[in-house]
Amino acid sequence: MSNRRAKLADWFDNRTGARKLIHEALYEPVPGGARWRYVWGSTLVMAFATQVITGVFLWMFYSPSTTTAWESVYYIQYEVTGGWLLRGLHHFMASAMVVLLAIHFVQVVWDGAYRAPRELNFVLGVVLMLIVLGLALTGYLLPWDQKGYWATNVGTNLASQAPLVGPDLKKLAIGGSDYGHQTLTRFFALHAGVLPGALVAFLVLHIALFRRHGLHVRNPQRASTVMFWPDQVLKDSVAALAVLAAVLGLTVYYGGAELTAPADPANPYDAARPEWYFLFLFQFLKWFPGELEVWGAFIIPGILVVVMLAMPWIGRSRAGHLFNVALLCVLLGGAALLTASAVRDDYFAKWNSQDDVVAMNDPAAVAKYDASRRFLDAKEQAEQEAERVIELAGGPDRIPPTGALTLMYDDPYLQGPKLFKQHCAACHNYEAPEDAPPELAKLSVPNPNPTAPNLFGVGALPWNAAFLDPDLISSAHYYGYQGSPFAEGDMADYVQGEFRDELDEEQHAAARAAFAQVAAAMTAEAQFAPPADEGQADDQAIAAGRKLITGGLAEVLDSGMTCIDCHKFHDEGSNGYGPDLTDYMSREWLIAFVKNPADERFYGDNNDRMPAFAPHDDPRRNQLDDKSIELIVDWLRGDWQRPDGESNSAP
Amino acid sequence: MSKSKNEPKPPRRSFLAVAVALVAGGLAAVTPLAVGIAAFLTPLFRRRETPSVRVALLQQVPDDGMPRSFPVVANRVDAWNRYPAQRIGAVYLVREPGAEKPLALSAKCPHAGCFIGYAPGAEMFTCPCHTSEFKLDGARVHGDAEVSPRDMDALPVELREVGIADGLAHVEVWVQFLDFQTGHKEQIPTA
Repeated sequence: MSNRRAKLADWFDNRTGARKLIHEALYEPVPGGARWRYVWGSTLVMAFATQVITGVFLWMFYSPSTTTAWESVYYIQYEVTGGWLLRGLHHFMASAMVVLLAIHFVQVVWDGAYRAPRELNFVLGVVLMLIVLGLALTGYLLPWDQKGYWATNVGTNLASQAPLVGPDLKKLAIGGSDYGHQTLTRFFALHAGVLPGALVAFLVLHIALFRRHGLHVRNPQRASTVMFWPDQVLKDSVAALAVLAAVLGLTVYYGGAELTAPADPANPYDAARPEWYFLFLFQFLKWFPGELEVWGAFIIPGILVVVMLAMPWIGRSRAGHLFNVALLCVLLGGAALLTASAVRDDYFAKWNSQDDVVAMNDPAAVAKYDASRRFLDAKEQAEQEAERVIELAGGPDRIPPTGALTLMYDDPYLQGPKLFKQHCAACHNYEAPEDAPPELAKLSVPNPNPTAPNLFGVGALPWNAAFLDPDLISSAHYYGYQGSPFAEGDMADYVQGEFRDELDEEQHAAARAAFAQVAAAMTAEAQFAPPADEGQADDQAIAAGRKLITGGLAEVLDSGMTCIDCHKFHDEGSNGYGPDLTDYMSREWLIAFVKNPADERFYGDNNDRMPAFAPHDDPRRNQLDDKSIELIVDWLRGDWQRPDGESNSAP
Repeated sequence: MSKSKNEPKPPRRSFLAVAVALVAGGLAAVTPLAVGIAAFLTPLFRRRETPSVRVALLQQVPDDGMPRSFPVVANRVDAWNRYPAQRIGAVYLVREPGAEKPLALSAKCPHAGCFIGYAPGAEMFTCPCHTSEFKLDGARVHGDAEVSPRDMDALPVELREVGIADGLAHVEVWVQFLDFQTGHKEQIPTA
């Protein structure tokens, strides 16, 4: 048996020369014995192998186009078995590679291992480092999320400032004048084809030259010479495993790599930052005002790379070597300081209270605080948006073929607050009551000086009841806003009149009970989808309320007046004085109201200052398009898709 | 492996053989590369069109000197897709008291192309990336000491009357949505 196996091995070796190859690969002498300090190059090879393996599997899922890139990464992250782990390993190993590169580089320079005859191999190493950074830069864009999109936007704009070729370079990089499909296909081809290919080619040369010159050993007499296999391979393997363990730990700790909201060219992301290992460059650019920027972005980094390439020749003399070591310390120390200062700037508002900053009495500190606040707010908002769009993408309707941006643009929960802030919040308040649960309280869009009613929970029972409550109707949240003609208007008089001191307790109680039923009937007009966990509203109260509205109130109330004396309600009463109560605050009613509150159906001539947002049939003449109005109305009515797939009623 | 004495001597190298080998091999290798590079350079031969875009109704821009942000909506072609009515950017419109025409400022920062922000009521625009600051007319707050190399880009504005309704003339604000290279003192249009 063993004889046959040996024969087979001989046959194979005879045709391939495999034994010699294996021997050459494994039996490299290590003068002075195997050491832990030699592991760094090997860990880098292992890290690259990890990137190739995880990258190829990611490639099997990834689809580079503006309507599929984010979507396919979402699929990897949330639906593919272990996809988050696969993507997480790729992401964090990229970071690990940058760290390992720095260690490898420091060691080579510190030891003077670049000296003859290893100069060219050092040059190859610097080229490899640039390729790795190129891989990091191109990979950051591929998920096509807000973070990658806006950071790359800045990066390619900077590239366009390169002397002479800049603008053409940018066009070639992004595949046109604007970011789009071709940007992704190009970045992906670079990331998965050109750069890894170049890296393999240079790595083969790097390792070949390394083998040619052997290990750079400072003290060969330290211990007896051993072979690469198995002593050094053992140490290399243990180090590789340690690196992998660290990367796995980070992946699990962070739950995989982050995926922010889909890239939206029309929706700026104020927290766009490059990956952490490029932060120092980002911060460095803040020092170069105006056209001096080309110095920060190209000339100084370019000079540094040239100096790095020249290090083996500079380091031929002792003074030159000391210069190299000093430069290395300055570079690494400077990068560390710049990174720290970038992080400190961004998180300034988190680590300092506003009062302390104001007390400093330093305008620069205040400006820093404001900038940091914007960064943190943008980051938080982007995180919430990402959470929401991921929730929708996992919903029963999935992602439409037009991409995840459509999900965002059509979602009242995401668009409502933005549109409300832009078009409504200058007058209206949208403020949850103090005792509201946190998930509702966080929806608030407060306006400290409202000149229109608070629209939180518009059309819902508490809101309707407040307009029939003598204490609330003229309060700031309802008709008591600044400059309101209604605070002492007919409606307020009508409600408050029933609770005059002259009337006895019994009459007060009767009015209160009647108004409660009216409020229930009005709430039914809004036609909210029934809450999933509650039964239908009190049908008896609603029926009783309807009777009160259409005449019954006249018998209960001291004024002898009922709703249809001033309002239309289905077939009774008429328009012209108060707003139509038929389908009050239903989707259709609210949309028509926002389009033109001064219509005869609503406030007519009594309309306060509310603008008509879309009174014309010709959409060009309107301030707001129908879709925006629908989104605002759906948001106000709490009519958006919930995580469990149900639409729900008012907040 | 040592050389055997029987091995034929290399034939005498004729100039012609070397030349043909180089040309033939070179052509075989370079042709596909050249074709690929030509395709790769496609973007350099394409020109961007600058759309004139209706941004707002004049009545949406009161003459109170405060900036208001409006999305720029236009048809956009991305390689094989045509997207009708897409938000392709944003402009700030500012109308000084008494002025007829608003000033249109591109929201793209002249420094590195970030989206310049404006908080309603604030006294200046701020760029979230490298903290450039601009006054409400787009001028840099710190002049040449600002990170941004030039003031915010003002875009050509045109007012177009579309008709009269309810006794009011409806006037639209149209903006020519020009795009300029970042990082330069002068406005250099991107192609």
